[in-house]
Amino acid sequence: MNNSAPRSIDQYLRQLREELAGADAALIQDALYDAEEYLRAEVAAHPDKSEADVLELIASTYGAPDEVAAAYRDTEVKVKAAMATPRKEAKSAAGRFFGIFLDPRAYTSLFFMLLALPTGIFYFVLAVTGLSLSAGLSVLIIGVPFFLMFMAVCRVVSLAEGGLIEAMTGVRMPRRPVYQGKALGFWARIGEMLKDPRTWTTIAYFILRLPIGILYFVIVVAGLAVSLSLIALPIIGVLAQAGWFGMSAVDVFSNAQPEWAFKTEFGIPILGLAGVLLLTSLMHLARGTGRLHAMFAKSMLVARTASSITEAAEPKAALAAH
Amino acid sequence: MDDSNGRKFQKELNGGLVGLVLLAVLAETNEDLYGYEIAKRLASANDGTSIFKEGTIYPVLRALSAGELLTSRIVPSYAGPPRRYYRITEQGRGVLAEWKVIWRGTRDFVDRFIETKALAGGHSS
Repeated sequence: MNNSAPRSIDQYLRQLREELAGADAALIQDALYDAEEYLRAEVAAHPDKSEADVLELIASTYGAPDEVAAAYRDTEVKVKAAMATPRKEAKSAAGRFFGIFLDPRAYTSLFFMLLALPTGIFYFVLAVTGLSLSAGLSVLIIGVPFFLMFMAVCRVVSLAEGGLIEAMTGVRMPRRPVYQGKALGFWARIGEMLKDPRTWTTIAYFILRLPIGILYFVIVVAGLAVSLSLIALPIIGVLAQAGWFGMSAVDVFSNAQPEWAFKTEFGIPILGLAGVLLLTSLMHLARGTGRLHAMFAKSMLVARTASSITEAAEPKAALAAH
Repeated sequence: MDDSNGRKFQKELNGGLVGLVLLAVLAETNEDLYGYEIAKRLASANDGTSIFKEGTIYPVLRALSAGELLTSRIVPSYAGPPRRYYRITEQGRGVLAEWKVIWRGTRDFVDRFIETKALAGGHSS
């Protein structure tokens, strides 16, 4: 350890952040939040002592930053291992291709893409209304409180969006908000907020979410409509042959175009097969999109720590030397 | 516990024990507790010093919560960031009962060797 013992809450949090460098950004945010809750409560519980005196004892009660960092890394590894659904990897290419139907993430990602339109509209309206009203009201006395309220709402909504993404795609997102220290004055805090790049990336994310949401929604609706109707074709043919519609299969498809597909013997089965392939591809696309979107959301919504966001450090690497 | 051997051993022991103790603390109270409060209860039960570092209980609380053994809610606080209050779930009580049995079995098993050795070796230092 080349770090000296922390003498203030800020120093402690900085050292903890350093110790956690390379870990998942969401994990770092949670760990810092927990530590801050404890340290502030501990300082508040000893009004007779100075912050430095309280922190002197922290290493023996809460634990030194390196110990705490190791605890978070270990627990995260264990939880990941325990929560991960054991997946049977199919060996053959066809098995891997169609195995997507057994992956719950594919279905939830598909649902997320559908949900992306309504939530996208909400985020867009929130961001545009908030920004324009903040700008418009900034000349009045209520402009500043309004901007603060807008920021607070944005933080809560971004946390909710993170929760939604984590539930749907399984990518770790923060479960705690970033806590802004109370030490700063009112104007200083507003200044910090304006300087914090995360404020602006969050708003940019909310605005971008509408076009992205439209794209996702269209892909899913069009993909589902086309693939499911193609799959329905041979079923309708078989049902018609069995006399369900009171006419033969030839008559059911008599007006259908193009002729090469509907008037030949193999046309309809081939279209049905194409539907199955299209639906399977759509599921793969959904799962991939879910993962990509989660990475994008993490880069926009989660505070950048130290130099860069390191994507989910592998558990083995994360196991710090004890 | 100054020597690193002792510390390392204690740490390895704590791995699963922290979860058991946290479930037990939350099972025997009717109120919701937050991290700091739980940490202080553990410390006061052991003459003011907890066996494990209080910083290690937070990630375990979160892990138990993710496993649906605990539920949590957030309450704003004056002293610092909003606090997360935890309460044990029915599933958590079931798991606790199971873990208790395992713990008693393990303790008795270990004791059987340690106690006889102490008896055989007589009292030392």
